[in-house]
Amino acid sequence: MSAKQEFVEQAKAGKILARKCTKCNHLHLSTVYYCQNCGAKEFENAILPGQGTVATYTIITVPPAGFEKYTPYAWVVLKLDSSELRVSGFMANIKTPADLPVGTKAKITGFDERGILIEKQ
Amino acid sequence: MRSARFVEKVCVLGAGSTKYGKLEDSISDITVQASVGAIESAGIEPKEIEAGYISNVFGVADKQVHLGPVVMSNLGIPEKPSLSIESACGSGSVSFREAFANVAAGFYDAVLVTGVEKVTHTGTEWTTTYFSYCSDFFYEGQAGASFPGLFASMARAYLTEFKATEEDFARVAVKNHENGLLNPKAHLRKKITIDDVLSSAVVASPLKLYDCCPFSDGASSVILCSEKFAKEHGGDYVKVIGSGRGGSPAALQGREHMTTIPSTKLAAQAAYKMAGITAKDVDFAEVHDCFTIAEIVDSEDLGFFEKGKGVDAVREGRTSRNGDIPINPSGGLKSKGHPIGATGVGQVVEVYEQLTGKAGDRTVKDAKIGLTQNFGATGASCAVHIFQSV
Repeated sequence: MSAKQEFVEQAKAGKILARKCTKCNHLHLSTVYYCQNCGAKEFENAILPGQGTVATYTIITVPPAGFEKYTPYAWVVLKLDSSELRVSGFMANIKTPADLPVGTKAKITGFDERGILIEKQ
Repeated sequence: MRSARFVEKVCVLGAGSTKYGKLEDSISDITVQASVGAIESAGIEPKEIEAGYISNVFGVADKQVHLGPVVMSNLGIPEKPSLSIESACGSGSVSFREAFANVAAGFYDAVLVTGVEKVTHTGTEWTTTYFSYCSDFFYEGQAGASFPGLFASMARAYLTEFKATEEDFARVAVKNHENGLLNPKAHLRKKITIDDVLSSAVVASPLKLYDCCPFSDGASSVILCSEKFAKEHGGDYVKVIGSGRGGSPAALQGREHMTTIPSTKLAAQAAYKMAGITAKDVDFAEVHDCFTIAEIVDSEDLGFFEKGKGVDAVREGRTSRNGDIPINPSGGLKSKGHPIGATGVGQVVEVYEQLTGKAGDRTVKDAKIGLTQNFGATGASCAVHIFQSV
């Protein structure tokens, strides 16, 4: 299984597969092959809980192809509680900014043709 | 990075551009039209061109990729080498940078740099979808993030972090439309008000239609050459005194702060260092205002204003054509238009015209030093160039 596929499998279970540099402990999303902090190549997997808070977001009303039936929806950058990592994905049923203030608690809930799925906690 | 050792000083000798907007002619036709404009402006013969740098992103939309050889053939110089370059919305400036490096290194005395895009015939859904492929697709485009959506996320972060309102963003659009009204090549030549912006349809909250640049067709071209070549040909030229590049994490989520674009800062630092100047020495700038929030962020990242103060500067008119640091006198991407492969070259065309007295009614008074900043996607790649009049 490729690193991306392993990441997707964990996202389906509501978790984030991160890679921790064994030299400097810097955390990355699974698709990084060299440490962005120290350049080392050795990593160990770190499976992180998918809970976090909304760092920023938008509500899309003019969607790309394939998203018409979900419109309006939010695209969200989620800051994970357990680390400094941020992960972005799709959130359904958000219509106005009042529905999703920055700082709202949210979590990873799955992965499908809409990429990483995020819901409010 | 090792500091560059240049053999030659590099100049822009001539510039040409098609109108930006919805164009009928084919992608190869408009590329050649802009190139001929630059060649005639420079007062040179095509055979004096030693290489072509052609930037474009979605040639596939008009059934022509590998544009370089087509352009060179149409210019009567099929034997001359060319390079076709893609770097999303920053393609034009990246191409310009590669051309600059080759002339500076002494490989060529004179080269053609032309950028082009032809997409308006494909419609909004096609462009929204294909442009989203310029994002870090796994995390962004795949999850429904359009480009307006990505910049809207930056806008939301800015509204959260600083004292700013959606009305502040609207002022950028109003200013750039005022400038574009004076630019005969501009796509959207229409005066607008703050209310027009605020009441326009929401595209990706908090950005509305008039916060967004249009999808445009268009081509822009310049002749880049050694100073010796420019002097021998006797035409009007400007010097390229600074060139810098930088990168950012491809996905927004990889950035600690979403109200700044790291690649712009890196590119600007490198360009200022090469030019031996600071932001205070710049008389005007053409920056990448694909969305109103982008111009605010750019003006801060380029060092014109402190972080969070870009909105105050617009409110106070400091970035208007008669302000102390005019930004986007051409009308910018917002009003002049954004043919994505051409934009970075189009900015250089504007600076050339401004610094050689060819900008007509939109001339920035007493300008000697102009800066261009153009990035790809959400600023994952960026190039900054600095120019000085002779």
